[in-house]
Amino acid sequence: MSEHFKNEPVANLPDIATTPFQKIDRNYFKVISINFFLITLFICIGIFLLQQFVFSESILQYNIYEFLGVIVFSSILYTYFFLAFPKRKYALREKDISYKSGLLFLKTTTVPFSRIQHVETDEKPISRIFKLASLSVFTAGDSSDDLLIKGIKKQEALKIKEFISSKINA
Amino acid sequence: MHNSYTFTEYSKQSPKGIFIIYVAEIYRAIKLFWIFLFILFKDFSKFSSYGVIYIYIGVSLLLLLLFLRAYLIYINFQYKIEHQHFILKKGIFKKTLVEIPFHRIQNINFKQNIVQQVIGVFEISIETAGSKDIEIAIKALSLEKAEALKATITQGQKLVNEVVKEEDLEPIVKISFFDLLRVSLTENHLQNLFLFFAIVIGFFNQIQQIYDSFGQSEALDGYISESTSNLSASVVLVAILVILLTVIALLSSFVKVVLIHFNLSAYLKDDAFEINQGLLTKKSIVLKKQKIQNVTISTNPLKRLIGISFITFKQAVSGKVNNKKKEKLIRLVGCKKEQIEIVKKSVFHELSVEKSAKQHPDSYYKKRLFFWSVLFLLICYTVIFYFINHIEVFYSLFVTIPVTILLLLKKVKKRCYQISEEMLIVGKGLLETHVTYLDIFKVQHIKIKQSIFQKRSNVADLVLQTASGKIQIPCIAYQEAIKIYNHTLYKVETSNAPWM
Repeated sequence: MSEHFKNEPVANLPDIATTPFQKIDRNYFKVISINFFLITLFICIGIFLLQQFVFSESILQYNIYEFLGVIVFSSILYTYFFLAFPKRKYALREKDISYKSGLLFLKTTTVPFSRIQHVETDEKPISRIFKLASLSVFTAGDSSDDLLIKGIKKQEALKIKEFISSKINA
Repeated sequence: MHNSYTFTEYSKQSPKGIFIIYVAEIYRAIKLFWIFLFILFKDFSKFSSYGVIYIYIGVSLLLLLLFLRAYLIYINFQYKIEHQHFILKKGIFKKTLVEIPFHRIQNINFKQNIVQQVIGVFEISIETAGSKDIEIAIKALSLEKAEALKATITQGQKLVNEVVKEEDLEPIVKISFFDLLRVSLTENHLQNLFLFFAIVIGFFNQIQQIYDSFGQSEALDGYISESTSNLSASVVLVAILVILLTVIALLSSFVKVVLIHFNLSAYLKDDAFEINQGLLTKKSIVLKKQKIQNVTISTNPLKRLIGISFITFKQAVSGKVNNKKKEKLIRLVGCKKEQIEIVKKSVFHELSVEKSAKQHPDSYYKKRLFFWSVLFLLICYTVIFYFINHIEVFYSLFVTIPVTILLLLKKVKKRCYQISEEMLIVGKGLLETHVTYLDIFKVQHIKIKQSIFQKRSNVADLVLQTASGKIQIPCIAYQEAIKIYNHTLYKVETSNAPWM
């Protein structure tokens, strides 16, 4: 298996700091927004039901503040998502794939093709409306936080998957 | 060597295997029904003589059924070797046929638990690469047959030269009982104490649950609250408790070390280590050098005093994190300096990395540690004060603060790394010191993390993911981190050597 693996040496590897990164599809922010809106809506409905059927009189006088709290909290979170969105970038090089994200906590991950065990693409219901997909890459060992790129065009994701697969099996 | 066995026909295990399987089945049944048994014994006297007879009949019927099951398992468990494949069929109702090609077999390990030792048979397990489902254990084989099987498979793998005469080999590490005593005395007693209490508390929880279900919890609760009020009243009791805890800690360390590492001997072969150890369960492990992902050499102040350390080998973990993860850690305890040198030289090609300069993390690391510790202490004291509400609580700060500062400074001092073309050494630890050696090309993927606060100080955290866990280098200069990042990727992408 791995004994027969050939990987031609590269002369000079480009610097990760100067590698051009590509932003993920702009439509994916719509997906985030819809998801976000749905979750907030569910929480609000939940609170409303609790108020109607469960809460006692003493809590009921804070009704408006509960909704206000949820809305303030979610709008802060939404702003963070909005600002952090342009930071989600990925780069495909000849021998590896990289992803970086984060506004307050910047993270950059690179997985060399020669260590990839398998690649997966999947489409969540709302992403499918916008023809978007996510690409996950698994390596050996504790595979909990390998590479996951959400929100790239479906054809693009499939193309990358094909590309990586051909590299693994080469 | 052992060509009296050919394995071309289907063969069963040693007939003694029926007994081994029987004992295993009984053990499994007891494990399943132990709460039931507990209740039965507790109220044994309350049953009428008729009831007792029924119980006896029931138990003997169950034992008979289990024996029948053990016999059927034995009869249906057959294996053979054909066309460079190991073939196994098993199962009473659900028939299973497993075929493993030789080249997929990685290790063949021998094991002996207490029953197997008494009867004089060996359990052999066949470990395969990658998939965790195909791991085969043959429960009972005579020593000759087990060795013959191993020899046949390893010869089939064309590793004949590996099968050297074992008698000629000199063990690189051999630990006598006296040495083991010294090892156990210098263990991390605090950790073992916690382990002991975790087991005891877990056990008591189960007992409590049973009592609860019978509505007798008041008695036990009353007992506990009574003893706690005594405890706070009497200083003598506290002193006794401290002595008792020390004894328990020492004993639990001793028991743990002796159980696992009894009669430890390690042999060095061409491409593998062979490690034999264990008291109740004797284990013989073959550890292929190629499969070793990284090596950690650890010591603590006590161990350093008598000049010993322990080595932990980490092997690749396949698939998602599973319970077997622990078995992939192999420890050699009580190694002297020369032995460590031998092990290091045999696992790694070159060790020029040890001569390179020791790099320490940025002062940001110290600041971050202190920040989180202060926050943690603040929260702790707020909670304690909220519950106890005595100002005297804060007197303990005179002890806590200096100890915390001392420990943190130690932690900061022990954090370091050394890097060369091929290898990386990372040191860390609080009371213990752990130094991890890693071949750079064995990295699976690499990550760089930087918070906006770190960005201001121009530092970043580096995380190297290997097939056996993460290795972190926190808070180093950003430029340096990028350099290591690029270098690691370069090494991984240009190496042709198999990482496993």
